[in-house]
Amino acid sequence: MRKHALPGRGRSQGVSAIAALVAVLSAGVALSGCGSTRASASTPRTTPIVERDFHIQAPTTLHSGTVTLRIHNEGPDQHELIIVPGTIASLPLRKDGLTVDEETVESSEPGSLEPGEPGSTRDLTVDLRPGRYVFFCNMEGHFMAGMHAEVEVQ
Amino acid sequence: MTDLRSGILRPFHMRGRWLLAAIPLTFLVTAAVGVVVTLTLSARAKDRAAVVQVAARQRMLAERYLNELLLVKAGQQADPQTIGADLNESAHALLEGGTVPAVKGDDDDATVAAATGTVLRRQLEEQIKLIADLRGSGQALLTGGRPPEPTGGETLPAGNPLMRARILVALTSATALNAARTVAARADDSVQRLLDAEIALSIGGLIVSLLLAGLLILILSRQTAHFRALAKSSTDLVAVIDPHGCRYVSDSLAAKAGRPAPQLLGDGLLALVGEQDRELLGTVARTGTPSSFIFTLVDAGGEERTLEAHVTDLRGERHLRGVVLNARDITERVRLEAELREKARRDGFATQLAEALEMADEELDVCEVVEHAMGDVSEATPMELLLSDSSRASLRRVASNDGVEPPGCPVRSPFSCVAVRRGSAVTFESSEDLNACPHLRGRPSGACSAVCVPVSFMGRSLGVLHTTGPDGEAPGAERVERLRTLAAQAGARIGTVRAFQKTQLQASTDSLTGLINRRSAEEQMRGLLRARRPFALALGDLDHFKQLNDTHGHEAGDRALRLFADVARRSIRDLDTIARWGGEEFVVLLPDLDRFGAIEVLERMRAALARAHPGETPRFTVSFGVSDTQQAQSASLLFRVADEGLYAAKLAGRDRVSIGTIPDEESQGPRRLDVELPSDEEEEFEPLTGGGQQDNGAPLNSGSEGPEEANGTRAGAASATVKRARRTPGAKRPRA
Repeated sequence: MRKHALPGRGRSQGVSAIAALVAVLSAGVALSGCGSTRASASTPRTTPIVERDFHIQAPTTLHSGTVTLRIHNEGPDQHELIIVPGTIASLPLRKDGLTVDEETVESSEPGSLEPGEPGSTRDLTVDLRPGRYVFFCNMEGHFMAGMHAEVEVQ
Repeated sequence: MTDLRSGILRPFHMRGRWLLAAIPLTFLVTAAVGVVVTLTLSARAKDRAAVVQVAARQRMLAERYLNELLLVKAGQQADPQTIGADLNESAHALLEGGTVPAVKGDDDDATVAAATGTVLRRQLEEQIKLIADLRGSGQALLTGGRPPEPTGGETLPAGNPLMRARILVALTSATALNAARTVAARADDSVQRLLDAEIALSIGGLIVSLLLAGLLILILSRQTAHFRALAKSSTDLVAVIDPHGCRYVSDSLAAKAGRPAPQLLGDGLLALVGEQDRELLGTVARTGTPSSFIFTLVDAGGEERTLEAHVTDLRGERHLRGVVLNARDITERVRLEAELREKARRDGFATQLAEALEMADEELDVCEVVEHAMGDVSEATPMELLLSDSSRASLRRVASNDGVEPPGCPVRSPFSCVAVRRGSAVTFESSEDLNACPHLRGRPSGACSAVCVPVSFMGRSLGVLHTTGPDGEAPGAERVERLRTLAAQAGARIGTVRAFQKTQLQASTDSLTGLINRRSAEEQMRGLLRARRPFALALGDLDHFKQLNDTHGHEAGDRALRLFADVARRSIRDLDTIARWGGEEFVVLLPDLDRFGAIEVLERMRAALARAHPGETPRFTVSFGVSDTQQAQSASLLFRVADEGLYAAKLAGRDRVSIGTIPDEESQGPRRLDVELPSDEEEEFEPLTGGGQQDNGAPLNSGSEGPEEANGTRAGAASATVKRARRTPGAKRPRA
């Protein structure tokens, strides 16, 4: 597992609940803003990503540039999202043969999300250059059980 | 009842009592809720811990299942089926509730409740699917059969059963971890909520308690203010004392003492207490007894105040540790009581005086009572009662205070006395004052103060009550008041007695002559004797009266008697008395005269008789025998001496006045006149000598109704006639 970059599990539930509420509200604001600013080129695009046991549903192609990925975890387990350039077959595995060797690909990944609670929706803004990327969850066995998707950025 | 509960009618000192109960009650409720919360919390935490343990154990079981599989695959003895079954049962127990099987060598059976919450249930359902897939894959691995289709949404590589099993173990393990984490998170969550509730409860309880305490302090301070106001406005004088001195004095007591309260603390109060009361106060401070006492306090003005204190022994009361005195100023009351006592005494004096006077029948008795009363008014003070006689011509001292020289007012006429003239009491501060009564000046006793109270009866002045004192120190109002009482009562009595006597006098007047009769004369004489008033006594007898009677008839005799009475009445002074003694005998009482003075009066009378025109009555003369109080002090002796004089006058030829001589006690002279004498005894036999003394055959008849004697039965000179003395009712009266 990677180190936590976002508020972790140690915080109280109340605080995380408030954080979630803030996130939902800001999401709503962002969504409402979306409709009115679709024409504007400078506005980051929002792309929905759905995770569930044990699939990642993502568009197969994306435009290059800054993109906001709205990741919804349908559960029932926690899932993370790691984006690395390359193809599924090209990802190096750890010695156990069950998880991707994140440390190796870390330097090249445009972005990642820590494990999220089932039912949560989070945004991840990344700057994607054209090429192939793999979106995957590297929790214990999840990658191997099929939680990965290849995306073509043009 | 409801009114009592609504703070308006409830006594203020009762307010705030409920608060005293409410504060600990609040704490109690808070603490109880806290304990319940903690107990619930720990019980739930225990349950959660069990669930978390079981959930986490699934991870370990999944790993062990793989190990057992591998061991079997390597030809070792192992039992993956049991582990797989345990995995499955445990997952179902976690989801639906029930008994979690014991894992060999690990732990015991445990019972868990059914899972709640959508997330947890979905995670457990997912876990069950994965376990089923795992067990299928494991079976396939062992038997080399075809693994079943995955049911949990996972995608598995085909053709590598071991890899499939490993992936499934990893997924199961991750799911189990997720479930355990969810349970733990929810446990955390509820613990946090309960902790929050408990903290809120504690803070709330604390705030409520603080509010109640504040309210209590407010009410108590108002209550204290109430009591302080009560204590301050109380007129009670309060002090707290102990053996070391005074510890507290109320403002009212300080005000009473006229000193600031701090000055009275310690020994300050004791210094103001009357000397004789200090020891008493010390005893009270030490013993708390007596329960009440009276002491005196000198105030700032130097005036002595009398205080009555009630003692409350609070030496055992740890807030006070002293004796509380609740005192009241009773100075006024004490003074009033003394006044009332004095008034009662005065009233007593008046009552006693009235009773004593009521028993006094005669003026002389009244004077005696007055003398006695003078001693009651003021002992050994010069005091006298000056009275005018019936003629009101002159004042005479009739009573004086015993044991001291009487003041000796030289006033003679009632109308030269200023008090009599004014008709009201007069007080003179000093005889030397310009406006002092001239009668006070030049007395042998020197300068003096004086009080003169007129004595009167029905507006007619009778005399004056007079007292003197040291110069410049006139008697106080109280003594003057008593003198007034004495003067008023004595005046009333004397007036009554005199009026009565006058009535008596009228009733006892001789009808023929209009003169008073014998009995009245006797009483008057007794009065004079008792008063030790000098007087002269004359016995008169008309000369040759029997002859006149016999010759000219009784009518002529009566006319002669009336004529003599008229002449005699005109001839005597106002204060003199003439009475018809009986027959042709008369008695004249001449106060303040001796026998020689009496002769002058009687000679005037004889001359007037000689001048009088008798009309149809033949001329007649009168003979007198005279005695006075210088010669004799008893009635009988006075009569005997006068009788001697009369006898001598008759013997010397009649129509004259003779002074009697005191008879020799041993050989009483012969008695020609049978004058009945007043006697001290009830019955008295008096030897009378007769015979040889009569001349001209005209014996003087002494009895008004004694014809047998007048008939010259006493002719036998040698024979002594013993005659029983006759007595009129008046003569029988015992005399003092």
